[in-house]
Amino acid sequence: MFEAAGLMVFYENMLALNNVSLQCGANKIVGVFGANSAGKSTLMYTLSGIILDIRKKEEMAGGERMTIRGRIVYEGKDIMSDKPSLRARKGIILCPERRRIFPESTVLENLRIGSYLATTAQAAETLDYVLTTFPALKRILKRFGGFLSGGEQQMLAIGRALMAQPKVLLLDEPLLGLSPAIQYLLAKAIKEIRDQRGMSIIVSEQYARPIIPIIDYGYILENGAAVVEGSKQELLDNPDVKSAYFGN
Amino acid sequence: MDIIIYGIINSVSLALMAVGFTLVYGVSRLPNFAHGALYILTGYLTWILMNRAGLNYVFSAIIALGLTGLIGAAMYQLVLIRVRGMPISEIIASYAIGLAILEGLRWGGLKGGTFRLPPFVEGSVTVLGVSVDFQRIFVVILGATLMGALWLFVNNTKLGLALKGMAQDERAALTLGIDSDRMAVTATAIGSMLAGAAAIILLPLGSIAVESGYHVLIMAVAVCIVGGLGSWTGAVLAAFIIGFAQILSVVYFGAHYQAVVALLAIVITLICRPSGLFGRQKELEERV
Repeated sequence: MFEAAGLMVFYENMLALNNVSLQCGANKIVGVFGANSAGKSTLMYTLSGIILDIRKKEEMAGGERMTIRGRIVYEGKDIMSDKPSLRARKGIILCPERRRIFPESTVLENLRIGSYLATTAQAAETLDYVLTTFPALKRILKRFGGFLSGGEQQMLAIGRALMAQPKVLLLDEPLLGLSPAIQYLLAKAIKEIRDQRGMSIIVSEQYARPIIPIIDYGYILENGAAVVEGSKQELLDNPDVKSAYFGN
Repeated sequence: MDIIIYGIINSVSLALMAVGFTLVYGVSRLPNFAHGALYILTGYLTWILMNRAGLNYVFSAIIALGLTGLIGAAMYQLVLIRVRGMPISEIIASYAIGLAILEGLRWGGLKGGTFRLPPFVEGSVTVLGVSVDFQRIFVVILGATLMGALWLFVNNTKLGLALKGMAQDERAALTLGIDSDRMAVTATAIGSMLAGAAAIILLPLGSIAVESGYHVLIMAVAVCIVGGLGSWTGAVLAAFIIGFAQILSVVYFGAHYQAVVALLAIVITLICRPSGLFGRQKELEERV
């Protein structure tokens, strides 16, 4: 059980997250939908702890002051003050927005860097699994990360996150900028990963349609606040949600 | 033949001087301007351990290397960590530490000529008709071994790969559980030890002098700028270009043009190809 309660994030006086609470049970897929600047990435950075690092860097450079409030409870403990590397060690792995593939490493090396937290046996097993789930990567193992197409990069980013042995996988806009065919393929893969490997997945997306079939529960963010939440069916039946996020 | 053999020796020496600097810059984007000081410090520590504590050469060298690694780590942990991400402050702070070490040593009585490390093996040998002393042969062999070992370390160990990931995208590395501060400390320690290793291999060719600390720093910076900051292949290639250019200038113009060549290489690189020979990262960004 992964649970966030009352998350507030301020950039100076700008409220980026407004009292957001969110739950993700074991082996569930939770969707977070919202427009640009609704706070999806800030939420993902807060859940994974990267926001602490961003705040530290801003502080050092004398940039924006950031205030972070709230609780994140995972396996019965408040992990809000844990730094990102410690949260990753506990199994909370973020697959970041815009993929952030290592451009000068080959596909294989990207995956091997991803296995930093895994044992040798885990790494070998997961590598096998990643290449079975995304056979497209098999043919380009020697290609540099910087020369991949968007779809290949996204498969690699998810694969790399899997190498870190996640228990809670945070996917930040995994379908951004991809063709409908690849979007469909990736959404299917995400569900498969949950079914086969057993992990909680929180996935954020602007456009809900490709993701909605695979989620168990969903939240809608607007201006940093979770305005609607509900099960897949509840979201589908909500007329406001329907017009705003499913495009019909 | 002279030119080729001494060119290789000179190039490997330059690569040795630069490799630690590149490593630290590549991983943590930290220009370690105390590099030359750490180089001289290792030589001096080895000398002290040999001549004052009476240890044998190998032991002194190993202990001195370990100490330099610790000093490098402490330098990062105590000072540089506070100015992370501010390039100018990083340069000023690390250069200040370097100055303090070098001028401290000078004040403590380190003057050229009297402090020397003995060569590993005395004598010389004739290679392809050119007489080369054993120490210079060692420079090439140990230099190549060290670089090979470093390559294996970076490409095949978990820590090495983590350093590589960190060097490319700090935030992506963070999401995979790679702790940025710990990696930066590790990189600084390893970089300092590489500076020290270069010192132990190269210093027997001359004497331990404060001036060569500054010289090593300039050479390291020159090699890294020509090769493309943070690029390993670039650094090795640049070391060979500058190394051979220096030897050629010695043969055709005179010994005092050596330093000019290195500085000229910086100027030419910055004019023609500001990101260096292997500044690939930029090129990729433009393509994607």
